[in-house]
Amino acid sequence: MELNGEQFIAASVPVVWRGLNDVAVLGKAIPGCETIERISPEEVHAKVMFKIGPVRARFAGKLLLSDVIEEKSCSMAFEGSGGAAGFAKGRSRVELISAEGGTLVRFTTEASIGGKLGQIGGRLISASAKKIADDFFEAFAKELNPHASEITAGGAV
Amino acid sequence: MNPKIPIEMIVNGNRVQAEIEPRRHLVDFLREDLGLKGPHLGCEQGACGACTVRVDGQIVRGCLYLAVQANGKVVETVEGLTAQGVLTELQDAFMRRNAMQCGFCSSGMLLSAAELIEQQPQATREQVREWISGNYCRCTGYHSIVDAIMDVLEAQREQTQ
Amino acid sequence: MKAAAFDYIKAQSIPEVLALMREHGDDARLMAGGQTLLATLNMRLSEPQILIDITELAELKGIELSGEHLWVGALVTHTEIENAPLIKKYAPILQAAAPHIAHRAIRNLGTWGGSLVYGDPAAEWPACSIAVNATMVVRGLQGERRIPARDFFVDLYTTALAPDEILMGTEIPLANAKDVFSFQELARRHGDYAVAGLAAVAKKTSQALSDCNFVFFSVATTPVAAVQAQNLVNGQVVNAELITAAVAAARAEIETMEDITNSAAAKSHLVGVLLERALKKMLAD
Repeated sequence: MELNGEQFIAASVPVVWRGLNDVAVLGKAIPGCETIERISPEEVHAKVMFKIGPVRARFAGKLLLSDVIEEKSCSMAFEGSGGAAGFAKGRSRVELISAEGGTLVRFTTEASIGGKLGQIGGRLISASAKKIADDFFEAFAKELNPHASEITAGGAV
Repeated sequence: MNPKIPIEMIVNGNRVQAEIEPRRHLVDFLREDLGLKGPHLGCEQGACGACTVRVDGQIVRGCLYLAVQANGKVVETVEGLTAQGVLTELQDAFMRRNAMQCGFCSSGMLLSAAELIEQQPQATREQVREWISGNYCRCTGYHSIVDAIMDVLEAQREQTQ
Repeated sequence: MKAAAFDYIKAQSIPEVLALMREHGDDARLMAGGQTLLATLNMRLSEPQILIDITELAELKGIELSGEHLWVGALVTHTEIENAPLIKKYAPILQAAAPHIAHRAIRNLGTWGGSLVYGDPAAEWPACSIAVNATMVVRGLQGERRIPARDFFVDLYTTALAPDEILMGTEIPLANAKDVFSFQELARRHGDYAVAGLAAVAKKTSQALSDCNFVFFSVATTPVAAVQAQNLVNGQVVNAELITAAVAAARAEIETMEDITNSAAAKSHLVGVLLERALKKMLAD
């Protein structure tokens, strides 16, 4: 499954970069995030309750950063185990581009979902991932700009 | 936390009482607790139809129905319906048409077919095929099953003329 | 696979349900027909602490004529809709759609309300409820409110129902002699999730259609009405030229979503195919 997109956030590049690297901010922005812990500068562990439709699957996830260019871009490898529900694995590349009034966050993601969730949920994996990404960016933007009302144009394609 | 719940139901004409975990579905209860091996478990997701049983006169997926939900209800499996003679014409037709090989789908097929014959006595071959598409058969290729059901429908239509 | 253990309670009243929902929050699941819920639990895609069986609640049952509306309670099963004379007379598109839902054994238990509140993109009832201009009646601890079907389906598996609310049923304006409809569902096998579908309802006076609702399902994350196509057709005599224009409008306006069966482009193509067939059928009726 692929998920690529561009999200405009009304905050400067340094603020967005800091936010993306701040586990406290991520913990509030990731939908269903229950716990999040930075293990090292490159590694973050999190427990996320994945809630979509009838599904409630708790994933124990690991995020590994690499190819980090400060305030510009980084790669991420992630994997998560959802117990009986299944597992997920993938990689993502995130780029921050300065834009008028804020930052354009450009991301490309490739992921595979296996186990029951992959089998049964397969037909809606892309739509679900897009919704999670949209929900994440909405919450993330709110964390950075608690006084701003909405994020404008953008989203996953 | 999850205490067992006392239930009482009529299964194949007999009053049954038990105390069971809420999560136990009806087919596991029938097969494991009551020894009624007629209904089978295939997918446990409601897709294959092997678990089809009758509750209060309607077919249901026994794997998508909790035993506790059957409290106060009338449950019938292929064993009970055979004893009552409700399935005799269908069973004869199945045998004549070789509509059963391994038999795994047959209990579900018979119960599904019985409801069709009762509810849609004017069903065409196409409607029969659509109706039983919720019961998977891995052996016969379905034609013989459809033939058997059509035999019974046609005989019934002839009789009522 | 077997479900994880849970507690079970058969609720006797709506206040009891609302209190339990408040007490347990997302640890509780309401069970009506259970045809989606129990499959989900069997696969351990969800492990709730408690199931609240709402099938005893009389206020959620029944298909009744009530003044200017047809009331369809949330607990009405798909089979009941398939067979009800009141549905045939006052909301015939529902009776046309019902046989497309899964298979008979599932229809005997699955409910109108259950399908509406799950809001699966491929489900028939959400699209049909919009096509018949239904109003959802919901109740929570704050009281009762009414939500038009077209505002009910907000996002993927997300409706306007608040976490502490329960769907009581829907009020459906009565169809009359002028009503025509077309229900279509394309699926690889009968009973499969739809590849693309259209619930179309309109009023017909000689060869012209008005009050058109062309509601597509399984082409996006929620049911989607082809508003431009509707506006184009409303009040016009339906001829080949209008059909071509409406088809083009629908294909242009609807942002389709790919899924496991088809690309977004293929879905757009099917949007046009279904609309053309629907218009021709409604013209001929």
